[in-house]
Amino acid sequence: MSELHGKPGQGIGARVPRKEDARHLHGRGNFVSDLIFPGQREVVFLRSPIAHGILRGITKPAGFESVVYARADIAGIRNIEAPSTLPTYKLSTQPPLAQGKVRFVGEPVAMVVAKTRAEAEDIAEQIQLDIEELPALVDAHRARLDTDVRVHNEWSDNLFLTLDFDNNFEAESKKATIVVTREINLARQAMVPMEGRAIVAHWDDRAGQLIVYTSTQAPHVIRVGLAQFLGIDEGMIRVISPDVGGGFGLKCVLWPEELCVAWLALTQKKPFRYIEDRREHLTAGANCRQHHYTVTAYADQRGRLLALDAQITIDGGAYSNWPFTIGLEPGQATGNLPGPYEFKGYRCKTYCVATNKPGFLPYRGVARTGVCFAMELIMDAIARAVDRDPYEVRYENLIPPQLMPYNNVSRKHYDSGDYPRALAMVREKLDYDGWLARKAQGEPDGRLIGIGFASYCEQSAHGTSVFASWGLPLIPGYDQATVRTTPDGGLEIRVGVHSHGQGMETTLAQVAHEVVGVPIERIRVVHGDTGITPFSTGTYASRSIVMAGGAVGRACQTLLPRYIHIGAHLLKCKPDDARFEKSEVVGPNGRVSLKEIATAWFLRPERLPVDVDRDGLEATVGYKPTVDTGAFTYASHGAVIAVDPEVGGIEILDYVIVEDCGTMVNPMVVEGQTLGGVAQGIGTAMFEESPYDANGQPLASTFMDYTMPGATEIPAIRIYHTESPSPYTLFGIKGMGEGGAIAPPAVIFNGVNDALKDLGVEVNETPLTPKKLLEAIERARQAHPQRKVA
Amino acid sequence: MNQVVFTLNGERTEALVEPRLHLADYLRDTSRLTGTHLGCEHGVCGACTVLIDGQPARSCIAFTVACDGRDVRTIEGFEDDALMKDLRTAFTRDHALQCGFCTPGMLIAARDVVMRCPDADDKRIRSEMSGNLCRCTGYLGIANAINSVIQARRGGGATPAIRTAIAANAPVVQPLAKPWQAFTPADAEAAAPRPAVAAPLDDAGPREGWQRIEESFIANHSPGRVWEIFADTAGVAACLPGASIDEATPTSAKGRIDVRFGPMKASFAGATSLERNETRMEGRIRGGGSDSLTGSRAKADITYRLASEHDRTRVSIVMDYNLQGPLAQFSRSGIVKAFAGRMVAQFGENLNAKLGGGSAPIPLAAGRTAELNAGNVLWQWLWSTIKKLLGLTR
Amino acid sequence: MKSAKFDYTRPHDVRAAIHALADALGEAKFLAGGQSLGPMLNLRLTRPKLLVDVSRIEALRSIDVVNGSIRIGAAVTHAEIEDAGASLARNAMLPAVAREIAYRTIRNRGTIGGSLAHADPAADWPLALAALDAVIIVNGPAGQRSIPSARFMLAAFTTQLADDEMIEAIIVPELSPSARWGTYKFCKRTGEFPDAAAMAVFDPARRIARVYVGALSGAPVPLDALARGIAQQGAVALTATAVDRAIAMAVPELDAVGRKMHAATTMRAVQQALAS
Repeated sequence: MSELHGKPGQGIGARVPRKEDARHLHGRGNFVSDLIFPGQREVVFLRSPIAHGILRGITKPAGFESVVYARADIAGIRNIEAPSTLPTYKLSTQPPLAQGKVRFVGEPVAMVVAKTRAEAEDIAEQIQLDIEELPALVDAHRARLDTDVRVHNEWSDNLFLTLDFDNNFEAESKKATIVVTREINLARQAMVPMEGRAIVAHWDDRAGQLIVYTSTQAPHVIRVGLAQFLGIDEGMIRVISPDVGGGFGLKCVLWPEELCVAWLALTQKKPFRYIEDRREHLTAGANCRQHHYTVTAYADQRGRLLALDAQITIDGGAYSNWPFTIGLEPGQATGNLPGPYEFKGYRCKTYCVATNKPGFLPYRGVARTGVCFAMELIMDAIARAVDRDPYEVRYENLIPPQLMPYNNVSRKHYDSGDYPRALAMVREKLDYDGWLARKAQGEPDGRLIGIGFASYCEQSAHGTSVFASWGLPLIPGYDQATVRTTPDGGLEIRVGVHSHGQGMETTLAQVAHEVVGVPIERIRVVHGDTGITPFSTGTYASRSIVMAGGAVGRACQTLLPRYIHIGAHLLKCKPDDARFEKSEVVGPNGRVSLKEIATAWFLRPERLPVDVDRDGLEATVGYKPTVDTGAFTYASHGAVIAVDPEVGGIEILDYVIVEDCGTMVNPMVVEGQTLGGVAQGIGTAMFEESPYDANGQPLASTFMDYTMPGATEIPAIRIYHTESPSPYTLFGIKGMGEGGAIAPPAVIFNGVNDALKDLGVEVNETPLTPKKLLEAIERARQAHPQRKVA
Repeated sequence: MNQVVFTLNGERTEALVEPRLHLADYLRDTSRLTGTHLGCEHGVCGACTVLIDGQPARSCIAFTVACDGRDVRTIEGFEDDALMKDLRTAFTRDHALQCGFCTPGMLIAARDVVMRCPDADDKRIRSEMSGNLCRCTGYLGIANAINSVIQARRGGGATPAIRTAIAANAPVVQPLAKPWQAFTPADAEAAAPRPAVAAPLDDAGPREGWQRIEESFIANHSPGRVWEIFADTAGVAACLPGASIDEATPTSAKGRIDVRFGPMKASFAGATSLERNETRMEGRIRGGGSDSLTGSRAKADITYRLASEHDRTRVSIVMDYNLQGPLAQFSRSGIVKAFAGRMVAQFGENLNAKLGGGSAPIPLAAGRTAELNAGNVLWQWLWSTIKKLLGLTR
Repeated sequence: MKSAKFDYTRPHDVRAAIHALADALGEAKFLAGGQSLGPMLNLRLTRPKLLVDVSRIEALRSIDVVNGSIRIGAAVTHAEIEDAGASLARNAMLPAVAREIAYRTIRNRGTIGGSLAHADPAADWPLALAALDAVIIVNGPAGQRSIPSARFMLAAFTTQLADDEMIEAIIVPELSPSARWGTYKFCKRTGEFPDAAAMAVFDPARRIARVYVGALSGAPVPLDALARGIAQQGAVALTATAVDRAIAMAVPELDAVGRKMHAATTMRAVQQALAS
């Protein structure tokens, strides 16, 4: 990293190496697909080859009738329905295996069980599906207007949801002298964690429980869902999420496959395993990012934004997921489009349209990658319209620090920060002026240089009131943590969130260390098991370090007086005369270690004071921030782009981030999260796409077709930090897991548009493939034959 | 089941395996060495990288049976390896892993890079590591960790990479190194012209979701005679390359079309309806079928139309096709379209052959099957070239 | 996904391999490195009944220099060619091309013969070997024959190889000391199949001038007139207009963008040759 940032020690702010690394470095991670139970059977799903059709019949191969399951064979499973309190919301009914109709390519239609996956596939390919094709709804704009062909017959049209927002738009827009409109599009893509989804379920007779190992970000939520849709008591289910090979949102919802495999184990009392393969993921998992914008900005002559008018169309796919619902994406898009900018008039109409594609899911950045892309492209377009430097225009529009906390035009409450400073720092660290000079000179190799900026703020750890406003059937409240002192003076922490790359086995230990002082080597963080951890809605929405970190901090703080009370007794002094300091209780006459205190409580109770706190050295404490509207991390990104106009190549020459996520628990982890997010954002910007043909066939079913960025596609990014603690959270921590993925498309497109400005080229549709870039140059050549075009 | 004997992490290992069992599944499910991960099973992501005879290889596309006699080493087989120890230390220090799923493959590839490219800089390291995908880290920690190990082995300190100058794919513009020595190539005759693209026949274009291929040829008969010959509608349908007709009536046929495309094979079983419109001198074959094993479906509407041209007949063919299911789910549609184009061209050849006059016989494929394949296409290519040279068409 | 069932055999010589294939009556495939076939098997896009593993047949495994030519056995891997700098000193284009194929892990297993037989339009060897005037030696029940590499590939995934034939070796001429060559491919991501590619070879001593474009929808296409012009006039003949016209004539089906991309790629490959 550019400047290694970190405090000494092991507490909050220290750059502590991760506790979780060793097992992975030795190949001893423990992922769901690594599990094998005696007698385990493999499960395969036969998926619809057709995007939209009437499912007339399923013919099971002769001799295999008993190992092939269709919807009618799994009657014990309820259809997945995710109700929402949002007005205009329409409920979709998703059968765990298709029934009546198939609604997207990749929808599970039948389930096959065999000894090996290969044998199950042998059987699955013998199943005959009788599907009468219906016209496929592939284009969201057309699907929105179509009432004859409908994804869900019981609806009157194809609209999941329509949101209307207006805050003072008419009055503010009238003041404008500059009006700029752009159409902006993002392609559909897949999330592509390196580990696909995976489920192993078995019945534990001794516990009388269905044990479901599943690769999920939210084990407790999955338990709620399994119980609800299998129609059994929650107490009958234990969900374990061991090592998870990346989530990114894909694994925070209940999947039909989870229900089906759990049902097999429940009804047959045997172990079953299903492992999603990459082809299934890329087809049945093409479920995010596809937004279409028409944005009109109203500004003054200097480019000061006065009002914004937007129409957003979200290609929602076929089904609304449980529990987040399809409402999350349009809700976030509408609310977050104004971003970090200060303006007073805003109108937005957002359509979420049902199409014959996999149902939309919340991918890292949830809607904000799209809205940031739209907002930042329009910001550069304003700068063009007023013929000013996009940096200057952006800088002047950012919310100034003196207005913090700030209630913005979409009624978000921004808690803290100096947004313009982050942008100014990017300018400086990027050496903007140096690049401008070089750009003016021109490159000897014929490439064109451009510089792009983007700023955003990232709502994190938003709680009850926010999710309630999005109408969800399951809303986060207090997150709980249990902190237990071990008899030898170590700590064991139990949390309901799940860590799958975020390093919380380390960072939550750092929080506990900050309070209790026990070396983190002696602090064990236990997560991912509903049997032994307190309830949490899980890891999503950049919430875990704030929520679980807060709960761990509070639980540790709860234990301190109990330690002091016993310690003072052992030191033969009054508790008021003793204090807790770095895992010891210190009194006027000496000090006693946590180990001795723990030994007294657990093993030598005769040494305890008579009025000892009977709750002992273990506490379960719930936490949520004092204001639950979110702690807003923010950042500005800047990049220098070189465009090779002959072949359409793009190289990122430099990429600088200035980020502020409040108090950092572990700067190394913060940087890792950011870098990983940026890599995904670069994927969105330049490489990743799940294209569909007009029949609704997905055209990227392998990594040969779906281009993932590799080590040569991601530059050596430089990150700089500022710290503006949140006033509403314990320690001032803000969540930041998603932010990296938000800005890169905006930064890269702004850089490319800057590079190609003289050619009259403006691109505004992801991903920016060489072909698309050359097409744009070609179009510009035809539109402006007088210009010098490469 | 086949018997294999190989060395696995230094130990002699005997196994009885189904030939289709790939090495990664053997390692994970049979040997229970679960550090080798499966991220794609088609040889791209690198999560399953192991050493086979000391060389990094994808274990998902290596079959266990083919590893007989080989030396296989997995992430679990490096506990005593000094270089791997250094890499592990560096990976932790530089935060080169998050979820850990790609990590074992990443380490095995990294170790190979350190050994094979002792002079590698950041750019070379990234290029050498480009076959291993990571979704979490953004690769900076990985590149830095490998760089630090390479630097340490060279005796220098680690220098994290920061790019400030133009690198990577910059186009090469170089001055002439030495004066050009002019010469006239030995084979200076002109290259054979390639087949031109047919002009569009029907301006309406295909239906949405369908692709269109057009082709035409001249038959040495009058349109009336061609129309008579084409009255054998099932015979016309049988001219579709790879077609075999099981049942036929004047207006319908049932059968299958076997298609082969490189190593891919599909067999579309289905039915066609056959129509003739004498006033328009137009015939239409509408058909659809499915390849049961992949669940793929193909539909095609093929229209032939006859028109008089200097006492002979121009036979124009338009094929609109629609492919759905797994065989359609690839992005290289240009190649599929080129393939469909050859199919229609060959249909034309077969019709022409059926008409007898002016046509060359259509041979069976070199592979002695009636599929559309290498031999047929070769013949079709040659024949269309000959025809062009003779000015027979277009 | 897992492959459909197949049987496996590993014959020890070419004869036995050809017999094994013939005996399977069209239901067998040769397996060399398996880097293309493996994925297709796993995806069940191909389902041969028998795989005939030729990867260890000694006669297919060596690089030999004989009579001014380099004979590369069909089962020699890309990595072996990449690393054979010393024995390929008289044709340095071969290791240079090998090094740019996919990723090292793929190159460690993938073979030159397998790549040619698979005939992916975007693959490197069909293009490079055409530009190098290589000859493909194939063998089958009817005996051995040789096919000029420029005519070997017919279309996407389609070659002159009969169903019962195998590639035995590739004969590549040595370049003379005055030879110049250039290769350029444009990939949107390192290691992927390119969007456009071109290779150029000029060997005055052998009076050979070749410019080929690849990564098309079918076989690589020669730009003979352009090559001839450059041979006769040098860099003067290498104008953007000349290249564009050559591509437009040779590959008329390319759209404007494809033509531009291939023209730029061709320009760079030839420039590289001129500058070498």
